[in-house]
Amino acid sequence: MKFLSNGNLRGWLESLMGMGSLIAPVDLEPGLTLFSQVRDPGEVNLEYEITPIPPKDLFFPSSEALFRFSPSRGYEIPRIEGETFLLGVHPCDALGIRLMDFPFLSPPADPRYEERRRRTTIIGLGCVKARPECFCTSFGIGPLDPSNADAFLVPVPGGFLVEAKTGKGARALASAKLKEASIPIPKPPEVSAIDVEAVRKVALSLFDSPYWGRLADRCLSCKVCAYVCPSCYCFDIRDYPTRDGAERVRSWDSCQSPLFTRQASGYDPRQTKASRLRNRFYHKFSYFPDEFGAFGCTGCGRCVRYCPVNIDIRETLSAILRGEARIA
Amino acid sequence: MPSGSDPFLPLLAEISEVRDLTPDIKLFKLNLREGRIDYRPGQFAIISAFGVGEAPFTFASLPEEGLEFAIRKMGTVTSALHDLGPGDLVGIRGPYGNAFPLEEYKGKDIIIIGGGIGIAPLRPLIHWFIKRKGDYGDLLIIYGARTPRDFAFSHEFEDWARGARLELAIDPPGAPEWKGRVALVPAVVKELKPSPRGSIAITCGPPIMIHYVIQELKALGFSPGQIVTTLEAKMKCGMGKCMRCNVGNKYVCKDGPVFTVEQISQLLEEF
Repeated sequence: MKFLSNGNLRGWLESLMGMGSLIAPVDLEPGLTLFSQVRDPGEVNLEYEITPIPPKDLFFPSSEALFRFSPSRGYEIPRIEGETFLLGVHPCDALGIRLMDFPFLSPPADPRYEERRRRTTIIGLGCVKARPECFCTSFGIGPLDPSNADAFLVPVPGGFLVEAKTGKGARALASAKLKEASIPIPKPPEVSAIDVEAVRKVALSLFDSPYWGRLADRCLSCKVCAYVCPSCYCFDIRDYPTRDGAERVRSWDSCQSPLFTRQASGYDPRQTKASRLRNRFYHKFSYFPDEFGAFGCTGCGRCVRYCPVNIDIRETLSAILRGEARIA
Repeated sequence: MPSGSDPFLPLLAEISEVRDLTPDIKLFKLNLREGRIDYRPGQFAIISAFGVGEAPFTFASLPEEGLEFAIRKMGTVTSALHDLGPGDLVGIRGPYGNAFPLEEYKGKDIIIIGGGIGIAPLRPLIHWFIKRKGDYGDLLIIYGARTPRDFAFSHEFEDWARGARLELAIDPPGAPEWKGRVALVPAVVKELKPSPRGSIAITCGPPIMIHYVIQELKALGFSPGQIVTTLEAKMKCGMGKCMRCNVGNKYVCKDGPVFTVEQISQLLEEF
C-alpha cells in the first residue's frame, strides 16, 4: 500500500475533477452529508459517518427518463456521457453497488445502468469508526474491506493508505502524489455479525408466523427503509404525455407501498402490511440469495437508523435465530 | 430481444383492426412496423399506449394468425387502448414468460376452463388443439361469463363447437334470452365430471374462480400436475427486475405465467 498525505489530497482531487466529474460526500448542512458533485475539493468530507441516501442513485437514479417518443421523431434516448469518479464509498455501499449489478446487469441488461457503471470509478473509503447500527460483517465484508471498489483508501494519521484494486482504480490513482507507506493497516473497528446463513436456513419455516403481523402493526408503510437502502431496487415505470408524444420515466418504488401489487381490477394478492413487510425481508434473506447467490443486504443499518417507528432488521434476524419468531 | 439493444424500448406497431368482443373487451390486431416477435402460446407482451403507460397482455392468437390481443377495459392503460383505432400507433415489447408445454400434452384429453377475459390466453390453445385434432384426445371447453353479452369470441363458438365439446354458462341469472346453463364455472366442472384419466385441465379466469376450479378438479381425482393455470400480476418490466410480480420466490413474468398446480402449491404466497 502507498501513502497519500492530507497535503497531497487536494491536488489529487483537482486532477480527478479535470478528468471527469467527482462525486463525493459533501456536507450540505451541519450533520447532513450526501454524495454530491464536488465543485471545490475543500468541500469533500472524508470523515463522514453515513449519508442518508446511498450512492445507488448514481447508477439507478431516483427518477429518470428511459426515453421520449414521438411519432414524427421516433425515440430519443437520454445520452450518458462523461466519466465519473465516485469517491469515499464505505465498504457497505460498495457492496450495495455490487448487489445492484445482479438485477440490472443480468440478461437482458439495462443499458443505462451498464453504461453508468462502465463510466464510473469507485474509490472506496475504510471506516475508522463503526456506527451503533452497523452489521456489515454479517455479509462477508468489513470496515476496511476493499473488495467491491476500484481503489481503496484507509484513513491513517496524516493521510490515507491507498491501494488500486482494478485497472480503473490504478488510472484514477495515477495522478496522486503517493509515497511508499511504512504505516501498518490500522485495526478495524468492532462490528458484530449476525449469522444470516442460519437465518436463511430456517426462514422458510417461519413464513406463516404471526411474527410478521406483530412486527408490521407499527409499520407506517412510509417506505423510507427502501429509499435509504443500498440494495433495494423496486421500480415503477410511468408515462407522461409530451406535446406530440410521451416521456417514459422510471422511478424508485417500494414493495412496502399498499398499491404496489394491486391490479387494475382491484385485486391485490398482497393486501396486508404484514405480507408486504415479510416480502421485503424474504426478498433480502431468501429470494435474492436463491436467485443471485448473495444476500440482498449490506449491513449498512440505514433502515434501522431512519425507520420512524424503530423497526430494526437486526432484531428480526435475532428473533428468528432465538426462535422467537416461531408460531407459539 | 437482440443483445445490445435496449430491452425497455418497445417495437412500434400499427393497429390494423379492432373488433368489439363484448361491451368491455376489444380484440386488437397489430402489425409490427419493424422487427418481429416470435412467441409461443402462453407467453405475453407488454403493450404501450404512449403517454399513458404500459401493461402486460397475453397473446390471444397463434403466431400464424398474426398478433392479436383481447383487452378488457379496466384501468388507465386499457382505457387508453380502447380509445385507439385502426392506423393508431402502439408500442409492444416481448415475448415474456414461459409457455404451455404443448408437446407434453400430446395424446391427452384436454379440458379448457375459462372465465371472462380469462379466455384470452386459452383461445390460441383452442385453435391449436382443434387444428391438430389427431395429436390430442378429446377437447372439452368450459367457458363462463357474467351475461351472454360478456362471452368473448362468441363469433367463433360455432367453429369451437365443431372441433370440441363446448359448454357455456352464465352467472348471475337474469338474462331471459339465455336458454343455456346458469352456473358458476367451478359448478360446471363439478356437474360435467371430466375424467382425470390421461387428461390435462388448463384454466384461466379471476383468481377466485381459479381457486375453486382447482378444488373441484382435485375432488374429481386430478393430480396437481394435471392442472395448469396461467397467472396474472401487476408488472412493470416483464424481465424479473422491477419486483412487482413475485409470488414468494417465483416471478410470474419469468417463471410463469404458466404454472401447474403442483408448482403453485409450492409457492410461498397467494397469487
